[in-house]
Amino acid sequence: MTVVLDRVSKSFGRVEVLRELDVATGDGEFLVLLGASGSGKTTALRMIAGLESTTSGRVLIGERDVTQVLPKNRDVAMVFQSYALYPHKSVAENIGYPLRVRGQSTSEIDRQVNEVASQVQLDKLLGRYPRQLSGGQRQRVALARAMVRRPAAFLMDEPLSNLDAKLRGHMRTELRRMQHDLGITTVYVTHDQIEAMTLADRVAILEQGVLQQLGTPREIYEDPANLFVAGFIGSPPMNQLRGRHENGRFVNSAGTIDTGLQRTLDSVTLGIRPEDCRIVDASQGTLTGRLYALELIGDHVLASVTLDGSTPQVHTGKTDAFITADTFAVKMPKDYSAPIDARVDISVAREGIRLFAANGERLRR
Amino acid sequence: MASERLDGFFDRNAGRLFILPAVLLILTFSLFPLIISAWLSVSRFKLGRDGFTLSYIGELNFKKLFTGSQQFHFLGTFSSIPFTGWLILIVTALLIGLGIRQWMRSGRLTVLGGIGRLIAFGTIAALAWVFASTMQDGRLGSLSTTLFYVVAGVSLQFVIGTGLAFLCAQDIRGRSFFRLVFFIPLMVTPVGIAYTFRMLADMSLGPFSPLWKAAGFGDFSWAADPWTARLVIVIGDSWQWIPFIFIIMLAAFESQPRDEIEAAELDGAGPWRVFRDITWPSVAPVAATVVLIRIIEAFKIVDLPNVLTNGGPGIATESLTLHAFIEWRALNLGGSAAVAYTLLFVSTIVCVAFFQLVVRPMRQARGQTG
Amino acid sequence: MSDRRLGEMSPLTKIVVYGLLIGWSLIVLFPLYWVLITSVKLPGQVGDGPDYLPFIDFTPSLHAWRYIFVDLGSDTFRPYLNSVIIAGASTVLAMAVGACAAYALARLHFRPRLLSIGLFLVCLGLGVWMIGSGLVGWPIAAASGVAIFVISVLALSRVRSPRLGNSDILFWVISQRILPPVVAALPIYIMFQQIGILDTHLAIILTYTTVNMPIVVWLMYDFFAAIPIDIEESAELDGASRFRIFREMVLPLAKPGLAATSLLVLILSWNEYLLALFLSTARAQTIPLLVAAQNATRGPQWWYMSVLIVIMIVPVVLLTILLQRLIAKGLLLGAVKG
Repeated sequence: MTVVLDRVSKSFGRVEVLRELDVATGDGEFLVLLGASGSGKTTALRMIAGLESTTSGRVLIGERDVTQVLPKNRDVAMVFQSYALYPHKSVAENIGYPLRVRGQSTSEIDRQVNEVASQVQLDKLLGRYPRQLSGGQRQRVALARAMVRRPAAFLMDEPLSNLDAKLRGHMRTELRRMQHDLGITTVYVTHDQIEAMTLADRVAILEQGVLQQLGTPREIYEDPANLFVAGFIGSPPMNQLRGRHENGRFVNSAGTIDTGLQRTLDSVTLGIRPEDCRIVDASQGTLTGRLYALELIGDHVLASVTLDGSTPQVHTGKTDAFITADTFAVKMPKDYSAPIDARVDISVAREGIRLFAANGERLRR
Repeated sequence: MASERLDGFFDRNAGRLFILPAVLLILTFSLFPLIISAWLSVSRFKLGRDGFTLSYIGELNFKKLFTGSQQFHFLGTFSSIPFTGWLILIVTALLIGLGIRQWMRSGRLTVLGGIGRLIAFGTIAALAWVFASTMQDGRLGSLSTTLFYVVAGVSLQFVIGTGLAFLCAQDIRGRSFFRLVFFIPLMVTPVGIAYTFRMLADMSLGPFSPLWKAAGFGDFSWAADPWTARLVIVIGDSWQWIPFIFIIMLAAFESQPRDEIEAAELDGAGPWRVFRDITWPSVAPVAATVVLIRIIEAFKIVDLPNVLTNGGPGIATESLTLHAFIEWRALNLGGSAAVAYTLLFVSTIVCVAFFQLVVRPMRQARGQTG
Repeated sequence: MSDRRLGEMSPLTKIVVYGLLIGWSLIVLFPLYWVLITSVKLPGQVGDGPDYLPFIDFTPSLHAWRYIFVDLGSDTFRPYLNSVIIAGASTVLAMAVGACAAYALARLHFRPRLLSIGLFLVCLGLGVWMIGSGLVGWPIAAASGVAIFVISVLALSRVRSPRLGNSDILFWVISQRILPPVVAALPIYIMFQQIGILDTHLAIILTYTTVNMPIVVWLMYDFFAAIPIDIEESAELDGASRFRIFREMVLPLAKPGLAATSLLVLILSWNEYLLALFLSTARAQTIPLLVAAQNATRGPQWWYMSVLIVIMIVPVVLLTILLQRLIAKGLLLGAVKG
């Protein structure tokens, strides 16, 4: 079944939370709604579930317009951020609850519960109560409860955010595997871009209620539609330089870069990812500056450089979504070393250059 | 299909269905009688040969209470204001002044707020004046007597109840024992309490009679003196209701923010400062709420004055409810309703004023929604 | 649980604190003790002056107990049974009605129009006037009042009007508590008399329910609001209807609150005097009335009264202890979110 948000808008009083959101999933697709808090992603998810009404627009599940349909009749299952397990019921009762509500026989319920429980390795814990389970186990109960109904779509609201880092990585893989096996359309909400990149078939990036870009992980990484997406995706974030563009060149206080774009613009932002840059020997690069810091990440070294003409300050954007630093990040091989404050030259790979207009829109050739 | 639509109907109207029984009950047994009562208060009830008649007489019932033949019963017998009376008036004036100043300072002066405060402060001032003017020789009317029960009773109950809660919140053993024991008076029927205290207070037959005799009060009859009679009622009422305040304040003391206290102690704050700057602000909203609850209930007091002293000596201990009850027994339905309605007005004004001027600011200071 | 609140207490402070607490315990227990021993005293003994200790100062006798239970027999038993039935039924009813209303106010959104409320009051006044002026009997007046209201609301359904919200409704329900029962007692008396159910269990049960229901709403509102809403949303998505969610999710999780509130309401109904006095004469008499009735013209019958007071307190105390034990054992605690 496909899930479609057809020009959906939502306002709470005078506050506009979602503006004309237009998203359609494919059948069996894993779609991630990615954004910071306040971006509207959770509201969008809840509108698919029917827990929030739409101010305008339609919600379609399959071919059915469910905009006015009650949540319980939409055939969607949701995994909440807090798991929302029923504390006074056992694991088996939790998982079997949707079936019991539908009036299925006890034997049938038991059979299905056992089947799903073994799929998520909960078969030994069926008699326990939620307060006796670990975080990871609780999450699996929530998953099992969603799975047992074989719904038309799964909705997940940051289900991994309450787990510790190591468990999170493991569960990511498990989730992807499970979704692939079941083939059920999934809409997944998160603020973590790594989760988005690793889990999604496609990613919808939201910021302050407006869809920024809808594309595959590769597309949004390599081909960002605007400055927000460029700065949000990627860790460390894409470097951004402000300057002028004329005669096929980008001009900035730190240097000049050939871009090959034949446009003249007074204000333009050049984006380049750290892995597309190199610190090179003097006068071989196109940007100059001083080495601010070196961090050994493990398989590479991250060098931060203060470019000429700028001061070493770190700014945070309006949300904590991304950090534009006036330090320029460069990925170097793990054996690279140099003294702090040394003068360095940076060369930039031309294929990695992304140009953005003054309003943030991506300039395509 | 049909059952699904019916199901949907229930779900969409769940809210109304859930709240309907409560609303119906209130409309039938609260609002409707209220209107009838209003109408009764402006009528005269006459028992005739084949039934009764109700004739409209306008505000005559009220006039009789406030300025007419029943004034002594309702307002009291006016005389000069004694010294304590002046004290009461001064304190009341100060409180009203504080209230006005707080309002001025709040920066949000609305017409509604102004009117509300005018009514509230005016009523309180009038009540204080009536009380002070009838204090001499203790010839209060039922209105002032009720006020006495409310103010003196609730104050006493609050001080002792909070004090006990504070003690119990300390590092002591047997807290659950004390909790259970202190809770018991709430379980006793007020009528029972009335008779029990009559027994206890008996000067010659009660358990304290040796004490009275030794102190020279052997011939004194507390039931014959208006003020001691009222005092005994306050004592009985407090015995019953201190547990209520105790239990709630104990819960409040137990849920203080421990982090803040530890931080203050590290900063060198002594026990008094900790209490004043951390403990009290955190329990103040609860204290205000529990006092409001007690005020609401205290206005309705009737069991104790009825059974303990039968409203006596004379009418000295009659509360407004008891006054209304006596009028009803005398088949003066109109007068009874008039007294009851005055009680309703005074009670509502005082309670709403207390809520708006004390409870709400304290809750908002703590960041809780009004 | 018990931390140093004012720093470690010095031995002197400890003595003072314990002293005060034990002192108050004596103040609480002594009157009850006095009632208990009075119930086993002979009339003559009471008249002689105070005797404090049974078997030492006087010989206890069960004559009062025998009188109350045997001689009066059914005259004691009937009010007791009435009290049990009335208090029990009105508690159950008040809890049911109040909990439903509290849940609705906590979770669902109401926006009644001020206009509709105004119309309602007008129709209510109209109905009362019709009854009062004697033009028509009260059934016709009530029916026409309702009819006019429904018609006018439907007719004006498109008219815009300011709306009230949940907190206004909550305030209205809770503020019913300010209403002194004596104001409503007369009209209710007349109402019941007209219908013919005066002096019945039903009359008093309905009245008590109305009087106590605001307390239930007040207390349960906070308990219900404290339940995490995503549990209910999850059940909603799982297909449960609103009633089902209330019954299977909310109520089990609010058990401690329900228990405490029911106990409070039960105590209030069990001990109530004024309304029972107004609304009953013989058949529906409750125990507090029986206690008051011991005040015979010869003078108060202290011993009989004491017996009655004792048998009134005992069940309530037992119930409280039982409930406290349940709470401590975690039988009710199991419902709290793990």
